[in-house]
Amino acid sequence: MDGPERVQERQQTRAPEAELIREAQAGSRAAFDALVRQYEQQVLRLALHLTGSEHDAEDIYQEAFLKAFRYIGNFRFECSFYTWIYRIVTNLCLDQLRRKKTRREDQSVVVDHSGDEIDVLASVSDNRSFSNPGKELDRKMLGERIQAALNKLTPRERMVFELKHYQGLRLRTIGEMLNTTEETAKNTLFRATKKLRSQLAGLR
Amino acid sequence: MNCEVAHERIVLGAYGELTDEQAHELERHLASCPECSHERQQVRALQSLAAAHPVAEPDANLIARSRLRLEEALDAVPPKRWYERLGESIAKGVAGLQAAPVAAILLLIIGAGAGTLGGYEFAQGRLAHVVAHRPPAQPPDSQPVDSAPAEIANISSIVREPNSELIEVRYNQIVPQRIEGSLHDPAIRQLLMLATENASSAGVRDNSVGLLAEECRAGHGCKGEGFRDVLMTSLRYDKNGGVRAKALEGLQPYVSEDMRVRDAVLEAVLYDSDPRIRTAAISILEPVEADTSVRQVLSSVANTDHNPHIRNASREVLGRAPVIQ
Repeated sequence: MDGPERVQERQQTRAPEAELIREAQAGSRAAFDALVRQYEQQVLRLALHLTGSEHDAEDIYQEAFLKAFRYIGNFRFECSFYTWIYRIVTNLCLDQLRRKKTRREDQSVVVDHSGDEIDVLASVSDNRSFSNPGKELDRKMLGERIQAALNKLTPRERMVFELKHYQGLRLRTIGEMLNTTEETAKNTLFRATKKLRSQLAGLR
Repeated sequence: MNCEVAHERIVLGAYGELTDEQAHELERHLASCPECSHERQQVRALQSLAAAHPVAEPDANLIARSRLRLEEALDAVPPKRWYERLGESIAKGVAGLQAAPVAAILLLIIGAGAGTLGGYEFAQGRLAHVVAHRPPAQPPDSQPVDSAPAEIANISSIVREPNSELIEVRYNQIVPQRIEGSLHDPAIRQLLMLATENASSAGVRDNSVGLLAEECRAGHGCKGEGFRDVLMTSLRYDKNGGVRAKALEGLQPYVSEDMRVRDAVLEAVLYDSDPRIRTAAISILEPVEADTSVRQVLSSVANTDHNPHIRNASREVLGRAPVIQ
């Protein structure tokens, strides 16, 4: 979550970070490597959770930092570097989600990490009462159903919900990252929660 | 507050996106609206349900693997050239500029580029020969060319690596140098000899030949260091009369002992374009005027030369010969 500790940490690192950015813009590979170290964990965490695949997360990491390396000269300190790098990553993740969504069209069966098939629609539309989910389904299975419900969202709704619920970013920041307004981000979040509730109705 | 707005604010409130005032208004509405209270419970339930799909920290192996792959990819990216960096810095500043200053800057850059290219061509033409005699400053292989093109003497090779964008260009640069030392300094003497042939300015040649001639007359360095050869070359081929005159003065002490010097002076008597140098050369021949070759030349000049002063000077020397003998 984007707690006060992390914000404070970012503020403390801002001054040397600006130096690193300038050095990287001047062509210093060491400075760029230092920037990668600062953000790689967050980039991988986001990509991994969004795509659910280590392979995809690795590809997004690679592409995002290569892009950042190529275009760091264009960074003009108009927004924070954190927002700038997240913008690159979220765009790549959105592309990946769109590609996945196309592949998943007309497919209600999702394959989990271990290769087992889960019939999402069947499980979600099941009217059994999951008053105690821990008792009825193991946590892994529940997690997979949540993931399946998340996959039903549009890539943009999925991204806003991810950045808000799981990554704990402010809606204003999310709007900046997705090149939209805070108001649009609010509406998208509202739509996403509504859809999720209807998808997961049977699990409550 | 109506229920539609309340539903929206319930979601925002659940994620801490409401102001204190909005949160207070929502609480008041919820206290009097069981339907919206139920809505809030549902949103909270969704939040706790979504926690069943937690965000996992990427494991160390994944980070290491990704990092390694990225480093390999970054290593393969060719370094930016100076003009790319220049282009970037211009692009950065261009947003804040109006069209006219941008055009002015572009014209300035084009002008500077043309100027440096012209300088490079000129320097290459005039100084390529000098570079061949001086140790060129060879830059390290991977050093980017960030100096002005005018400093580059020549490009020695261009090789493109197969299946790659990498191109290796080897080039030589002219680095201006300065040296100070006495006339006895071997480096200074070497440069003075070089200057007699290579200096484009007659003044520089005049200075160098004058200094070498003085050394020769003083008896320093005319034995084995090549001063004498340099002076003979200057006497024969230098375009400037003053330089040839000084070379002749420097050779004077060696006319009697060195046949080559004698021949060079005889050539000057016969062919030099400057009558003063020819006259001076005739007078220098006095110690060897009895030699057959010298007498032949002097006779020829005394009888056939179109310049009466030269004819007279030759006759005078020839006339003194029996007395000397």
